Amino acid sequence: MLSYVPGDSLAHRLDPRTKLFVQVAFVLAAFAHTTVPGLAVLTVVALGCLALAGGSVRRTLWSYRYFLPFLLAGPLLEALTWGVPWVVLGDAVDPLLASYRVLLVFLVSGAYVRSTPVRDSRAAIQRLVPGKPGRLLGVGLSLVFRFLPVLKRDLFASRDAMRARLGEERPVHERMRIVATAGLNRAFGRADRLSVALRARCFAWNPTLPDLRFSRADAPAGTVGLLLVVWALV
Amino acid sequence: MATSTDSVELVGDEVTRNLARAALFAALMGAFAYVSFPNPLSPGIPVTLQVLGVFLAGIFLGPIWGGFAMVLYLLAGALGLPVFSGGSAGFGALVSQTGGYLVSYPFAAAVVGLGVHGVGDLADPRLVSVGRLVAAMVAGTVVIYTLGILGFWYVGDVGIVTAVVGAAVAFVPVEALKIAAAVGIVRSEAVAAR
Repeated sequence: MLSYVPGDSLAHRLDPRTKLFVQVAFVLAAFAHTTVPGLAVLTVVALGCLALAGGSVRRTLWSYRYFLPFLLAGPLLEALTWGVPWVVLGDAVDPLLASYRVLLVFLVSGAYVRSTPVRDSRAAIQRLVPGKPGRLLGVGLSLVFRFLPVLKRDLFASRDAMRARLGEERPVHERMRIVATAGLNRAFGRADRLSVALRARCFAWNPTLPDLRFSRADAPAGTVGLLLVVWALV
Repeated sequence: MATSTDSVELVGDEVTRNLARAALFAALMGAFAYVSFPNPLSPGIPVTLQVLGVFLAGIFLGPIWGGFAMVLYLLAGALGLPVFSGGSAGFGALVSQTGGYLVSYPFAAAVVGLGVHGVGDLADPRLVSVGRLVAAMVAGTVVIYTLGILGFWYVGDVGIVTAVVGAAVAFVPVEALKIAAAVGIVRSEAVAAR
């Protein structure tokens, strides 16, 4: 599974804001230059990003395997045609390039996920979105990160309990209802206890964030991002 | 550490409560990605509870906080929490062929919330008529599939017919099951809504 891996690669040392900028710039460039030469250049950039984060292409793409059928469906369906000759390969070229650019974006976002710890991402969002909305997003994000494993365990427990009571015999919508009801109850129960705890500890709009500082390494990375944006616009 | 020296401004009780609920709901939405059920109509494609989560966000949290919960879910996924299908993560998921579906979740939750509660204070979902619940969820489903199909069409660079076939036809019938499940959840006495 794709997740943060501690390390000391160049990508790990970059400021998360720079990495977010490079990602967005890459997407803009990939959508503006969905041609064979354009994607050839972007392939080099994407592989470079992943290498700088110490990630492997195979593992990154494997973590996106559930998206791959949709990447294939476009070109395959587009190549089919009603009547003779049934298959027109020429029609599949543009969708194929479009799918390939998404594959490249997966590599770049895989590099970000691998090299950026959660608390840095949270601090970056809180600095990028000004005022109270940014603070709500920041606190909300760290709570989501904290509670995902707990709620996953809750859901698995209720599914196992249902199985043990021969719940598999019930119709699908009944089973969805049972598992989701249990999940909701647990989530709301935890949320209410959490909000009492937050209020008891004087939950305020003034958070203490981890320090984020641009370093010398951010200059070349930021330049790559700028070049990608300029290239996307011309 | 960056320390703020301003006087401390406490977050209001109502906002604290809603923020905790929205964040926990976003985490639950992520957990739903890990629980799949066999699809009775096309056995190859398992059904997850994700769209059900969108419906429930609108019903239980209302249009604003329901939409906010979905924004948190997408942002957490984009920043690396493994909450998208198959436990994947990253910004790439939002700009892929199925990104339109993900992007539609906040809007769909807001539409469901508006349909169930209207504008103003939240109503007790148990007192809302089944017809209104179903209509709100059908409207939410329309939002999800419209943006989903448009996303597939734009990102995949395909014709609109291909987009409808590739992105929607296989999934639409299953949504009826989720609407049925959502009505069951709202009607059951088990969930303490407000």
